[in-house]
Amino acid sequence: MTLRLVLVDDDVLVRSGLRVILGSEPDLTVVGEAGTGREALEVAADTDPDVVLMDVRMPDMDGIAATAALVARDPQRPRVLVLTTFEDDDYLFRSLQAGASGFALKRSDPDELVDAIRIVARGSSLVLPDLTRRLIASHAPSRARGAAALPELTGREADVLRLVAGGLSNAEIAAELVLARETVKTHVSSVLLKLGARDRTQAVIAAYESGFMTA
Amino acid sequence: MSSTFPRSGAEIAAGLRRVLRTAASPGWPGRLLYALAGLPIGALSLALYFALFGSVVAVIYGIGLLLVLLVLATIRGFAGLERELARTLLGVDIAAGERIRSQRGLLGRVRRLVASAGTWRAVGWLGARVLLGAATLAVLFFGTVLCAGLTAGIDWNVLNALPLLALLTLVVLGALVLLDLVVRVATAVAPRLLGPGAEQQIAALQHSSRRLADRNRLARDLHDTIGHALTASLLQATAARRTLTPAAADRPVQPEFARQALQHIETNTRAALAELDRVLTVLRAEEDGRDPAPFAAPTLADLEDLLAGLRDGGLPVALVVDGATDDVPPAVQELAYRVVQEGTTNVLRHAGTPLTVAQVLRDGDVLAVRVTNERASQLDSRPGPGGGRGLAGLRERTAAAGGTLDAGPTPSGGFELLVVLPLAGAR
Repeated sequence: MTLRLVLVDDDVLVRSGLRVILGSEPDLTVVGEAGTGREALEVAADTDPDVVLMDVRMPDMDGIAATAALVARDPQRPRVLVLTTFEDDDYLFRSLQAGASGFALKRSDPDELVDAIRIVARGSSLVLPDLTRRLIASHAPSRARGAAALPELTGREADVLRLVAGGLSNAEIAAELVLARETVKTHVSSVLLKLGARDRTQAVIAAYESGFMTA
Repeated sequence: MSSTFPRSGAEIAAGLRRVLRTAASPGWPGRLLYALAGLPIGALSLALYFALFGSVVAVIYGIGLLLVLLVLATIRGFAGLERELARTLLGVDIAAGERIRSQRGLLGRVRRLVASAGTWRAVGWLGARVLLGAATLAVLFFGTVLCAGLTAGIDWNVLNALPLLALLTLVVLGALVLLDLVVRVATAVAPRLLGPGAEQQIAALQHSSRRLADRNRLARDLHDTIGHALTASLLQATAARRTLTPAAADRPVQPEFARQALQHIETNTRAALAELDRVLTVLRAEEDGRDPAPFAAPTLADLEDLLAGLRDGGLPVALVVDGATDDVPPAVQELAYRVVQEGTTNVLRHAGTPLTVAQVLRDGDVLAVRVTNERASQLDSRPGPGGGRGLAGLRERTAAAGGTLDAGPTPSGGFELLVVLPLAGAR
């Protein structure tokens, strides 16, 4: 199965570079490009990609607003991976809050970037788990006032959510709890369902905002 | 009653302990010295007061004006010495006030000397010094009198020696406590009367907040220009390497892409270096304590330099200025400069190096700035619909200045950025 990608960045040089880098991977194919957030919405509607690689700062609707609009249209497809020049905490957290599944630095090694895309598409782990967890932990509590409590979770589900929020992948959780990987997958799915979260990242945000996890 | 007595006794003991601790603190010789120096300095302050009063009286006879100024200047100089004394002996850090000498011209200095709140606060400090000196004198005087009275005509023997010594110790301790109080008052008052006034503190605060804003702007500029240029160059370089070393047989080597990528990297890097140069100039100037000139807003006169740099970078760009632009307000000049800067940067970014024209036209109360380029010279580029990332910011600034911004493709396949700014109402 080939992953279909859309590149969104206002700089043609960034786009053309990414197109060549990602296009040389056998399981990735770039199906569309956009230079603004608004354009991204059109292109995504036309091409139905698996993952949208989204720049944050763009003229005519930035990446955060475009991410929110994509998620509002369909919570499951496409997933959004935010690409950023610098680790600007505030922008990154806001994009995760808007519904992005993860973020990667534009300067990261091509292999890491490709990995991040695959992880976002599969949803079996957080992208940059440590960084993401720290970012959410440091930003979420301050905005948590009045946040709804988590729905009722079984003991196992709570264990799983705790480990997901700790940045562990399905395989790592399976090893930790001595469970089959398939069982972990089932638990993760039911946690996401109960939380109304589209992916792990959103579940981690919910876990911190509800006070289930504390910084 | 019975419950309060031991407590107040304990309080007295605690107070005594505190005094002893303060007296035994490493600074105590300085504090004692400061208290004792209060005697001659208090006397000197009194003398200066009399001099001021005398010279003011002399003004009535028309001869004392120069004398008043002389005394005021002396008082200011004296306050400077006092600041140094408080710093050395008491360890209070008092920032220097306004410098009269930094004023230009004798008249300006005289005016500042009389009008400066610092001068009159120094006069106030003299008053405090007189009072503190008097207090010190009183403490010493009555302390001595008390000691003398207690011991005069006493026949020392085994029975009365102990209580008498205790009484004397108490008197000395009491005097020390009072002197400590005097020094405490001086420590509290000195920064207020000898330090910079509220208006100077506000000015200093404004200066530092402006510096902070400048630094933030610098950081943002760095982020936007150098960070961005390096990222784009990195991605182009990575991509170029991949096109020259195909991963699979069905992906042929693409030397044309690599050649273009190298050209982009060249242009981007050159622009980034120019920006780095600018930023470093600013930082260096700041380090040397100079008010950095590059922080001064760029004007229309700087446009030629800007474009010369771009020409070196390979962009064929011409500048056309029409109408009188000398009296255009600085804020508008800066904005116009930014329009040209942003417009030409976008040309480089989105269209490569096509023929480009920057126009500045002054017509009555309106300044129009236009950046247009011919059809894009790059194969893989098209004019961005909204332009570059800086365009949104430019649009905000233009709107704030009451102007309009239009950007879009031209019929001939190029791109046009047009900003019209009103001159009336601008600062």
